[in-house]
Amino acid sequence: MAKNKKSTIVCRCWDVTLEEVEEAIDQGITDPEELKRILHVGMGPCQGRTCGKIVNRILIDKTGKPASAVTETKHRPPLVSVPIREILGLKDD
Amino acid sequence: MTERCDAVVIGGGIAGTAAGYYLAKAGRKVTLLEKSFLASGSTGRCIGGIRQQFSTEATLLTMMESVGLFRSMKDEFGMDVEWKPSGYLFLAHSDDQAALYEKNISMQKSFGLDVSFISARECKRLVPHLNDEGLIGGAWGPTDGQANPFLVVHGYASGIRRLGGRVETGEEVVSVDVSRNRVGAVRTASGRTIETGTVLNAAGAWAKEIGAMAGINLPVEPERHEALVTEGVQYMDVPMLVDYRPDGGYFVQRVTGQFIGCFTPKQRVAGHSHESTLEFLADMSWRMVRIMPSLRHIHILRQWAGSYSMTPDGIPMVGPTSVEGYYCIAGLCGHGFMLGPALGKMTAHFMTKGTWPIPMDEFACGRSFGEKEKMA
Repeated sequence: MAKNKKSTIVCRCWDVTLEEVEEAIDQGITDPEELKRILHVGMGPCQGRTCGKIVNRILIDKTGKPASAVTETKHRPPLVSVPIREILGLKDD
Repeated sequence: MTERCDAVVIGGGIAGTAAGYYLAKAGRKVTLLEKSFLASGSTGRCIGGIRQQFSTEATLLTMMESVGLFRSMKDEFGMDVEWKPSGYLFLAHSDDQAALYEKNISMQKSFGLDVSFISARECKRLVPHLNDEGLIGGAWGPTDGQANPFLVVHGYASGIRRLGGRVETGEEVVSVDVSRNRVGAVRTASGRTIETGTVLNAAGAWAKEIGAMAGINLPVEPERHEALVTEGVQYMDVPMLVDYRPDGGYFVQRVTGQFIGCFTPKQRVAGHSHESTLEFLADMSWRMVRIMPSLRHIHILRQWAGSYSMTPDGIPMVGPTSVEGYYCIAGLCGHGFMLGPALGKMTAHFMTKGTWPIPMDEFACGRSFGEKEKMA
């Protein structure tokens, strides 16, 4: 595991550190859906594509839960973030 | 296995966690049961707006109490819940809408609420990015605001645990024992029986089903509302902008810099549906850009849906029911997150002391259903 938990970024969208994720798990927040909502991990532009698996790995390591019990958080549309002007078919300005 | 506690709270959203917290604070041994995870229902699906500008007295007074509670949460919980008094600006694009706001404002002011009708020019000064075409003015409440629903629920739930109560997730209630018209116990899907003389139904969209378990008819029907959130941009202090035109909507800039919003569905989608639609994504995009044209450059990150729990008259059902020991905070009609803290506190007060801090007849569970709450 990383040497400096304060400077190890788990979620690059919201700058959430390894230390913050571990602290939340220590507080008893051990459901990926709850971790996402409390820490914002997986709620930035990557929508969990980068951090989701890392967070779940930390959860598995810290709680000893089997990997099969730590499921991915719900994926929500749109698949990738889209500028509103493209949704509306507006010209770039 | 049989357990015992003073009060079983059903539902881990804002109403249940808030009421559970104030019951625990009053010395009651509380067990809160949530069938999924905390804030997994309507609370966690709302956009986090908090307003006092309502047209009926009990709701207005409840919201003034709630805002006081949101303000003090940082100290109460020892954690920041992202409360921000960023205000609510209700836009008026017709004389009728302006007149309705003016009428509400005079009532609201008589209760001491800081609210005023401001000109289109003042609206524009408040929100420079606002499209003021056709705008007459707006109802401005600077003490309204926003908070993060997940953090508020987490704060209340942690408080219940700190006070010696239990908050249990993944624990679904399957039946409520009633004998001689009195609550006796609550049973869960995992086979537990919790004996108690007091049950609080705070099950949100499922309040009707939980009511039926005790033979109580709660006319609360879920209906789907969709929402979306954008990426974060520089914080510009954009208040909740409410546009009640049929093709309007409402959104706010969160303290994270993100814009979050929704609109009242054109057609009612009844039932427990959390399905997102492409129509909403396109429609909401158009509505947001009409209100604030510069938003066309922003990226939408995510969309989702949740349930409003509707009563026949659009007003919550709070307090005792026909079964002794069975209380409810139900049918919060899309205002659960903002009303929850005060309703939780007042209901806990009633459950422990037998009196209401403010007149609550408007919310009585046994009322006959009359005129609807009216803001548009």
